[in-house]
Amino acid sequence: MNLKNAMNRTRSQDDVDVNIIPVMNIFLLLIPFLLLTAAFVKIAVLEISLPSLGRGAAAQEEIKQKNLILVILSIKEKGFQVKSPGFKFDPLNKIGTQYNYNELKNQLKQIKTRHGHAEDIIISPESKVKYDIIIKTMDQCRDAGFPNVSLAG
Amino acid sequence: MNTFNGNAKFMLYPRRRKKNVQVSLKLTSMIDMFTILLVFLLKSFSAEGQIVTVSQDLRLPESTAQKSPEPASTIAITEEWVLLDGEQVAPVNEVMSLNKLMIPGLADGLNNLKTVSETVGQMSGEMGFTGQISIQGDKEIPYQLLKKVMFTCGQIGYNDILLTVTKIE
Repeated sequence: MNLKNAMNRTRSQDDVDVNIIPVMNIFLLLIPFLLLTAAFVKIAVLEISLPSLGRGAAAQEEIKQKNLILVILSIKEKGFQVKSPGFKFDPLNKIGTQYNYNELKNQLKQIKTRHGHAEDIIISPESKVKYDIIIKTMDQCRDAGFPNVSLAG
Repeated sequence: MNTFNGNAKFMLYPRRRKKNVQVSLKLTSMIDMFTILLVFLLKSFSAEGQIVTVSQDLRLPESTAQKSPEPASTIAITEEWVLLDGEQVAPVNEVMSLNKLMIPGLADGLNNLKTVSETVGQMSGEMGFTGQISIQGDKEIPYQLLKKVMFTCGQIGYNDILLTVTKIE
């Protein structure tokens, strides 16, 4: 009977199976290794420089040279208020509990279209404003073309 | 009972013929799964490793910032404590009730750090005092608290402040 089986096999089974065992071995090693090293939370940083004694004077000279456009954005508990010489913006009140980021971006873009070289913005939050909101506002400023964000308060 | 049952079974199916079956694992689906997993993990693999570790009770704000973190000392601000490199330096309640902007506990810690890194800087030129510090703040902390921490950093001489955030695509 065994002989019969064996003969049958040799005759009918011409297709050969690929030997997948080495592949499985590689997978089994690679997957735990990659799972251990995987970073599921990606972290970034936002850079803020405080004026130091040495650099402060230099920075002020720079301001005089560049004829800088002063843009001040205050974050209040009620909403935003953008101030800049030559512009008059309405205060942007919250819609419900959400700050009005879209309109803020529009206002900043208006400044940007008139003064293309303006890159600095001063954010001045009220003391109770949450950190999350400050970061979100800074993101909006960066999107609108003001990469040099400084905090005041 | 058991033995009886066993016997009964034995009676019902007497003498099963032993078949010469070749058992082979069906690995195809498992390999499919592994391949998908492997591709996903390779995609998220970064050779840099994580410089920054974030403590559990800290919920970082989300931002579209793209700059990757640099190695620096870390101030973590949770809802209860201000920590400098993992050590508690000042409780938040106390900090909030301070009238001035300077936080004494934090200032002491930062001063120590500064002296250490300056001493190291004198010995080898490469690793000096850079004035860089990263702040990991909880989403919910008020600006007042952040302002006090930042002011303290600035007073000691840490002027390059890196605010740590989680990246969103």
